Amino acid sequence: MAPDKIAPPVNLYVLILFGLILLSLQLMSSAMQESSELSAMYSWLLLFNALGSAVLLILVGANIYSLIQHTKRREAGSRLTTRMVSLFVVLALAPAVIVFYFSMQFLHQGIDSWFNVEIDRAMEDALELSQASLDQRMHWHLKQTQQLTGKLEDLSENQVASEIESLREFSGASEMTVFSRQGHIIASSSINPGDILPSLPDEHIWLQVRQNGLFVAVAPVHQEELMVRVIVTVKAQDSQFLQALYPVPVRIADLADSVEFAFVRYQEMNFLRDSLKMSFSLALSLVLLMSLLAAIWVAFISVRNIIAPVKDLVKGTQAVASGYYDQQLPVIAQDDLGFLVESFNDMTQRIAQARDETRKAGFEVENQRAYLETILANLTAGVISFDAQYKIRTANQAAYRIFHVHVNQFIGRTLLELVQRYSELAEPLKSIQRLVEQADDIWQQRIAFLGPNGRQELLCRGTPLFSQEGFRVGAVVVFDDVTDLIQAQKNAAWGEVARRLAHEIKNPLTPIQLSAERLQHKLADKLGSSDATILQRSTQTIVQQVEAMKEMVDDFSEYAKPSKKQTVDIDLPRLIKEVLALYAVKSGVKFNADYGSGLLVINGDPVSIRQVLHNLIKNALEAIGALGVIELSLRRVIKNNTDFIEIALYDDGPGIKDEQIEKIFEPYVTTKAKGTGLGLAIVKKIIEEHGGAIWIDTTRKVGAGFIIQLPAYNSK
Amino acid sequence: MLALGRSKRFGAIFFSAIFLFLLSFSLSYAEGFSAEVKQAEMTLQGDKYLLSTNLIYHFSEKAKDALQNGVPLFWDLQVKLQQRRTFIWNKTVVETFIRYRIQYHALLNMYRVINEGNGEGYNFSTFSAALELMSVVTDFPLIEQSRIASDKDYLLAVKVNFDRDVLPLPLRPIAYIDPQWYLSSDWTLWPLIK
Repeated sequence: MAPDKIAPPVNLYVLILFGLILLSLQLMSSAMQESSELSAMYSWLLLFNALGSAVLLILVGANIYSLIQHTKRREAGSRLTTRMVSLFVVLALAPAVIVFYFSMQFLHQGIDSWFNVEIDRAMEDALELSQASLDQRMHWHLKQTQQLTGKLEDLSENQVASEIESLREFSGASEMTVFSRQGHIIASSSINPGDILPSLPDEHIWLQVRQNGLFVAVAPVHQEELMVRVIVTVKAQDSQFLQALYPVPVRIADLADSVEFAFVRYQEMNFLRDSLKMSFSLALSLVLLMSLLAAIWVAFISVRNIIAPVKDLVKGTQAVASGYYDQQLPVIAQDDLGFLVESFNDMTQRIAQARDETRKAGFEVENQRAYLETILANLTAGVISFDAQYKIRTANQAAYRIFHVHVNQFIGRTLLELVQRYSELAEPLKSIQRLVEQADDIWQQRIAFLGPNGRQELLCRGTPLFSQEGFRVGAVVVFDDVTDLIQAQKNAAWGEVARRLAHEIKNPLTPIQLSAERLQHKLADKLGSSDATILQRSTQTIVQQVEAMKEMVDDFSEYAKPSKKQTVDIDLPRLIKEVLALYAVKSGVKFNADYGSGLLVINGDPVSIRQVLHNLIKNALEAIGALGVIELSLRRVIKNNTDFIEIALYDDGPGIKDEQIEKIFEPYVTTKAKGTGLGLAIVKKIIEEHGGAIWIDTTRKVGAGFIIQLPAYNSK
Repeated sequence: MLALGRSKRFGAIFFSAIFLFLLSFSLSYAEGFSAEVKQAEMTLQGDKYLLSTNLIYHFSEKAKDALQNGVPLFWDLQVKLQQRRTFIWNKTVVETFIRYRIQYHALLNMYRVINEGNGEGYNFSTFSAALELMSVVTDFPLIEQSRIASDKDYLLAVKVNFDRDVLPLPLRPIAYIDPQWYLSSDWTLWPLIK
C-alpha cells in the first residue's frame, strides 16, 4: 500500500517553468542595458514575458474558477483549500507589494535625481559656449574672407585662377573657390591636391547667398570634418562669389563634439525620462506579476497536493457515515497525514469486518427465525405467543384454522379484545387468557365451546416464558382442535357396543324366541284354559320383546356400520323435492321450501342423505304435531376457501332445551317418549362421513333449527 | 448550467473588448501619421531601370519631439519588383531598400540626413528641407533591363517603413503601443510600364 518514495510537493515541470520565467526575466533585465546585444530582442522578450504572464493568469484564473465551483458544491476539502490558498496569496502578496511599492518609489526618485536644473543649465551653457566659440571663429573667418575679396576685385577669370592659390595659403583656408554668378566654378584651390572637385554649396546655401550676399556656417564637410564655410560676394564686373572653407582646429572640434555629445545624451535622457520610468515600472510590474502569479499557481498545486489526503479522508468519512465501510484510501506520503490515512484504513477495515460478522450473525438468526416460523406456520396445532403484558405477540396459521379468526391481525392486543369482536369465541378465549395470566408453570386443559360450526373441543397447553434473569417475559399457548378425535373415539366406542350387542345379544334371541314358541306349541293343549291363556300371554310377551330387542340391535348395527356406500352426484334440490313429496299428503303441516339458485350438487350416497332428511323431517313432524310449519332452505356458502352447500331446517315446535343442545347428537339422547335415541346420532354420523357438519342453530329462538353443511361438488 | 452561461458571457465581453480595442487601434492607425507613397515609377535609361518616387512623411508630435531631443530616427524605403503570376503568388525579382537616418545637431542647430547605404550625409538648417531630401528619390538604379522579360507583367511595390526597433530602449514599448509612433506606410503597388 505505502509507496516507497516521498513525492516532492512541486513537480519537475513546475520547476522548469520557474526556470524559464527567471531566465526570461533575467534576459529582459540584461536587454535593458543599452550596450547589451540582447537589446534588439527587448521587444520580443517583453512580449514573451507578457504572454507568460497571460498564460499564468489564465492558469490561476482557471484554478480560482474551479475552486469557486468546488466551494459552491461544498465538495470535500474545498473550504480548506480556499483558506490555505488565501493564506499563501496573502503571505506572498504582502511583502511583494511592499517591495514593489518602495522599489517604484526609489526608481522614480532615482531617475528624477539624475536630472536637475544645475546640470541642465550647465549643459546648455556648455553648448552655448561651444556655439559662441564657433560663432566667434565664423565671424573672424568671414571678416578675413571679406578682406580677401578686395584682392580679387577687378581681376579677370584667369587672374583669379592664378591668384587664388596664394590667397588660400595666405588665409589658411583648406579650400577656396570662386563661383560665377550662375554658380559655375571659376577657380578653385585646395590644400589637398587630390581634391579635384571642390565642395559645392547646396541650393539652400545659394538661396541665402543670393538673398544676403554672404553665407557663413559651420558644418561637417568631407568625412565629417568640421569646417567653417564662408561665401562672400566679390565686387567684380560680373558678380562672383568666393567660397572659403576653414578647418576648425582639431582641439576645438573635439571639444565641441564632446560637448555636443554630452548635451545630446543629456537631452535624450531627459526626453526619455518618463519613458524610462515607464519602462522600468513595466519591467518591475511584469516581474512582480509573473512572480506572484507563479507563486499563486504553485500555491494551488502545493495546497492541492497537501489537501489531497485530507480530501480523501473527508470523502472516506462521508462514505463511512453513509454506511459504505469498505473504504481504503491510498497512502500518498509517509508523513503525519499518511499515518492518519493508514489509521483510517485500519479503522474502516475493522468496521467492515465487524459489520460482516454482524450481518452473518443476523443472517443466521434470520434463517433460524424463518425456519421456526415455517415450522410454526405448518403446525396443525395453533400457537399463540404473548408478551409480558399478555398481549398477543405472534400467532400461526393454524390458530386461524381453528378459530376462523385472523389472530395475527390482533398482535399487540389481548385475547379479551378479540372477544369483543368475536363473541362466539368468548368462552375459549377468556379461558386461555385467564390461564396464561395465572399459570406459573406448564398447564394443560381441555376447553369445550359451541363454535359457529357446532360444539368444538380444544386441547390447550401453555407455558409461561422467563428471561435469563428470571423475569416473566410472556407466555406461549399451543392448542389443538380435538373435536373430531373425541367424536371418533365416541363413535368407535358406540360401534364396539353395537357390534357386541349384535354378537352377544342378538344371537341368543332367536333360540329364546324359538323356545318360547315351542313351549306354546307343546304345552298349549296340555294345560287348562286359564293356564293356557297365561302361557300364551307370556310366550307372546317373550316373542314381542325378543322382536323389540332384535330391532334395537339392528338399529345399533345400522349406526355402527359405514353409511357412505356408493357415492354419486346428488342434485340436492331435486332430492329434497322427492323427499318432501312423500310428506305432502299430511294435512295441517305446511312446508316452506327455498331451493336456492344455481347448481347445488354434492357427491355422496343418496340413500344415506335421504335417511338424514327423513330423520330430521320425522323429528320435526313429531315435534310440531298436527299443525305447524316446517321451513327448509338451501344455499351456497364459502368457508375457509371451500364451497359448502348449507341446508337449514326449522320447525315451529317446542324447540330443544339448552341443557340438551350439547348432547343431542349423541346416541340415546332424545326428548321423545318413543324412539331409540339414535336418529340424530345417525344423522350426525352420516353428515360427518360425507365431510360435512351439523349443528343446532342456537340463534333461532322459535322451535328447533338444524344447519347442515356439505361440501359442494363442482364439476368442471 | 449557470456557471457555463456566466463563463460564456464573460468570454463574449472579453472578446468584444479585444475587438473594440483592435478596432480603435486600427482606426487611429488609419487616421494617424503613416507615411504615404505619392508616386513611384521606373524609367528605362540605357540598360537600367531607374526608380523615382515621391513620398510624404507625417511626423507626429512625439516623433518631432524625440528628433528635437537628439533621438535619431531611421526610415527604410523598401522596394520590391515582382513578376505577376496568374495562379501562384508573385515572384519577387528584386528587393532592396534605401535607409535614411535623420538626426538633429544641437551644436550646429541643423538637421542631418544620412543615406545609410552610401554614407552620404546632408545638412539642413530646416526640418522641411531635410524631409524634402528624404521625400524624393530620383533615378535610383534598380534592375538591369535584361532581367525584365518583355512578355511578363511586373509590379513595383514600395513601402516606407519606420524602424521602431532601433529607437532607444525605453521608447520601444511605448512605440509599439502608441499610434503616434505608427509612421510606416502600407505597401503600394505600381505597374511597370515598359
